[in-house]
Amino acid sequence: MEQIQTFFQLLPQQLVNGITLGATYALIALGYTMVYGIIQLINFAHGEVYMIGAFVGLLMVVYFKVNFFVAILCAILVCVPLAVLIERVAYRPLRGSTRLAPLISALGVSLFLQTLMTLLMGPNAQGFPQIVKDTIYTVGTVKFSLVQVVILVVSSTLMVTLHMIVKFTKVGKAMRATSESYETANLMGININRIISFTFAIGAALAGAGGVLVGMYFNSIHPMMGVIVGLKCFCAAVLGGIGSIPGAMLGGVFLGVAEVMGVALGFGTYRDAIAFALLILVLLLKPTGILGKPIQRKV
Amino acid sequence: MRKRFFIIFTIILCSLALIAAGCNSSQSSSQDEDTIKIGFLGGKTGNHAHYGIETLKGMEMAVEEINKAGGVLGKKLEIVEGDHGSNISQAVSVTQKLITQGVAAIVGDPTTGITKSVAPICQQNKIVLMSAGAVGTGVLEIGDYIFRDCLPDVVAAPGQVKYLKEELGWDKIALVTTTGLDYSESLTDIFKPALAKYGIEIVAEETIMEGDTNFSAVVTSLSTKEFDGVIFTGYYTEGALFLKEMRKQGLKQVIAGGDGLLGKELYELGGEAAEGSMVYTGFAVDLERASEKTKAFIEKYKAKNNNKLPDMFAAQGYDAVMWLADAMKEANSSDPTVYREALAKTKDWEGVTGTITLDENREPIKSPVYILEVKNGQFVVKAAIDV
Amino acid sequence: MESIIGFFNDPYINQVLTLTGVYLITALGLHLITGITGQFSFGHAGFMSIGAYTAALLSLHLDTPFILNVFIGGLAAGLAGMLLGFPSLRLTGDYLGITTLGFAEIVRIVFINLDITGGARGLAGIPKNTNLTIVLLLVVLSIICMYRIHNSRFGRALTAIREDELAAEAIGINTLIYKVKAFATGTFFAGIGGGLYAHLIQYLNPSDFGVSRSFELLNFVVLGGLGSVPGTILGTTVLTLAPEFLRFVKEYRMLIYSALMVTMMIFRPHGLLGGVNFRKLFLDLVNRRLARLAKTKDVGGK
Repeated sequence: MEQIQTFFQLLPQQLVNGITLGATYALIALGYTMVYGIIQLINFAHGEVYMIGAFVGLLMVVYFKVNFFVAILCAILVCVPLAVLIERVAYRPLRGSTRLAPLISALGVSLFLQTLMTLLMGPNAQGFPQIVKDTIYTVGTVKFSLVQVVILVVSSTLMVTLHMIVKFTKVGKAMRATSESYETANLMGININRIISFTFAIGAALAGAGGVLVGMYFNSIHPMMGVIVGLKCFCAAVLGGIGSIPGAMLGGVFLGVAEVMGVALGFGTYRDAIAFALLILVLLLKPTGILGKPIQRKV
Repeated sequence: MRKRFFIIFTIILCSLALIAAGCNSSQSSSQDEDTIKIGFLGGKTGNHAHYGIETLKGMEMAVEEINKAGGVLGKKLEIVEGDHGSNISQAVSVTQKLITQGVAAIVGDPTTGITKSVAPICQQNKIVLMSAGAVGTGVLEIGDYIFRDCLPDVVAAPGQVKYLKEELGWDKIALVTTTGLDYSESLTDIFKPALAKYGIEIVAEETIMEGDTNFSAVVTSLSTKEFDGVIFTGYYTEGALFLKEMRKQGLKQVIAGGDGLLGKELYELGGEAAEGSMVYTGFAVDLERASEKTKAFIEKYKAKNNNKLPDMFAAQGYDAVMWLADAMKEANSSDPTVYREALAKTKDWEGVTGTITLDENREPIKSPVYILEVKNGQFVVKAAIDV
Repeated sequence: MESIIGFFNDPYINQVLTLTGVYLITALGLHLITGITGQFSFGHAGFMSIGAYTAALLSLHLDTPFILNVFIGGLAAGLAGMLLGFPSLRLTGDYLGITTLGFAEIVRIVFINLDITGGARGLAGIPKNTNLTIVLLLVVLSIICMYRIHNSRFGRALTAIREDELAAEAIGINTLIYKVKAFATGTFFAGIGGGLYAHLIQYLNPSDFGVSRSFELLNFVVLGGLGSVPGTILGTTVLTLAPEFLRFVKEYRMLIYSALMVTMMIFRPHGLLGGVNFRKLFLDLVNRRLARLAKTKDVGGK
């Protein structure tokens, strides 16, 4: 009884924790959802792009003492060409192949990047230097740390920008067309390869920024950090309805809040299972996710 | 007909694989009777690489010294390395390989989990497994060929609790366990009765997962409680991040825990937040209390490693080899079935990590327990407690 | 002859070969699900762990014979496969894959949290009952099973589902039932493999059955040649033995392995032996020989 009371007392605070976590999940989930929407591939290497973004941010801050916005920018500048390269080398030759081949290839890339970074940076977790002050703002009973505010502001700015690009620019229109149908888009004079590269680039930019934000928030960067986060974020994307951009945002935040609530209720040891249990539940009830469009089976 | 062909094909394939495997083994199984082989089992790569590398360094120092002094029973010692990359399944197959290479003993993995997985194999093959670091419970129970030269948690943890209560006056604590981590769960089980014995109240019990980086929810739950400090039974990485989150949410308490927290990452990752954290260990560079033997070891290690100070893993690796060598000399045999008896009867054996006497369960009783504290970004000896 | 016997008696070789056999049985189960029926399973290790824990717990707490325990372990895994299969096999492709992955992760986390499984501490002291003879016997039995299935009405239905699910449905195959049956059979093999694994390694830890183990099993099946039993055998044998031989490249091992995964997929997307028809190859060879023989006879005749 007492436990329930404290739970409700802390509820607003835990919500803030959950939404901050969820915002970072959403940033990464967007990369999965866009790539899946356009080439129907679970890009297992996406988690590693996020990991490399975090490392780039770390190196910039440690060696060049840059401020936090420059660090994010640098991470984006490294991740974008990396993701485009991955697509060019490991996925494009496999377009039109079996469904399983690009998946294995993606797993290979992900393993490769993990091993490479372990060799280069060592297997141990490294901390992020304090670049944002430990200031705490109190609103009512809820405490916001400055880092949390920064994460919320940066990630929502990025997500709004993405939404604008997809909704109102020519490239965005082409992206949507390509995800509807390859052939038709091609016939309409859209350069499919360019659009796919562009999609990977945007996803990577968000993941890179996410890497720096998470590194800063949780203070721990290591070569394996992308694995479980990657899987969870893919779950978030599926939860929201894969291929749908608002769906990925919703799924990410939903997952973040659910996880924090699970821990707060004393299911801390089941924390990683929460994402997967939710996923299975949602898929069984609504196979295409919360905001997904129904699948049409064509003969 | 077709089916038969496939089956024949399968058999051919299997036998090809066998032949391929055979080429490799015939080279390595040549026996050399002029040396006594000591196996090293540990991770030189992977997550616990630090433990394995340091243990091996200590072993190499011991072997060098022994060989310089004429070896054991007129034979030289030789280390056979078995790197399992911090992976349990690999560890099992590496252990098998070490045994086939004719080792007289295996100086075993510094982690409790892996030691427990390979111990039954050593027991079955009657090879002495000397673990240089498996401090958890349920290790020696596996069989009478299993030994360890490290300070078991069962002895050390109550010592620390006593210190916290009597010297620092802690009355209420929060207990944080890392689930998914063998070491942490057993340590929590040891801490609980000890806390009860000294009358320290557990006001909150929280669990985190190994590899977690986000502790905001757990720390928020703690923020409403009042306590003097946190007993943290996990490893250093999570410990450092947990402390950071505590400071971020304005909690000022320090943490105390076992030698799982003993890693430079605690203050490297934790920074300011790690100041004041306390860990216990069976070995510390404490020149005031150190015996001549220990001082000599520290000097030698420093000379070999750019003035770096040795930690418990190097010291325990060194002691493991020395102890085995002495037991072999005493029994006048390098046959595990013979010298095992001498090992089990060890009394007042002086090593660099302290004086070892085995109790009836072959559990090493060692004194003292060192409490180390993080001060200005390094571990310093805060107290030495006799247990 | 003596050297061959001595070779098999070498405990290290024996251990590695037995382990290969255990993986092979598990991989054959996945071969049935992914290779023949065309359903994605990214959680095969989860079913393996169900079989492993069931068999190990029976061995530890009851005096039932070992083979029976392994069999019950297989049944438990098969049952879990069936229970998961009914709701989730309505999903297709990647959705199914990710559901199985999620299921395996949940199983792993439950095993970490249960007391009877030893939790994160793992389960130690399992008797060593698995040996090379039993495993080889079961491997041969499993391979025969696979061929029997493949050439039966059931197997042909599964292949039809893999090739075109809608068409299969249209010709009157109840695809859901068939898929569930295939899934249950495949996970049964995983359970058998798990039970044997438990009695070989003598120690179980939930972390040994994580995502990476599942993907490793998938690699066994795909890299050797998807949908081909010889391919599965080749993939499993090579990938299990390779780390033993490649110890000298140490940390670069995984780098080479992962780069190989990508290049393999680019140049042989169906795996090494995928799409190779051994029967045709054999017959071609025989025919060519015969033809050549006939030709030389002709020449000789002139």
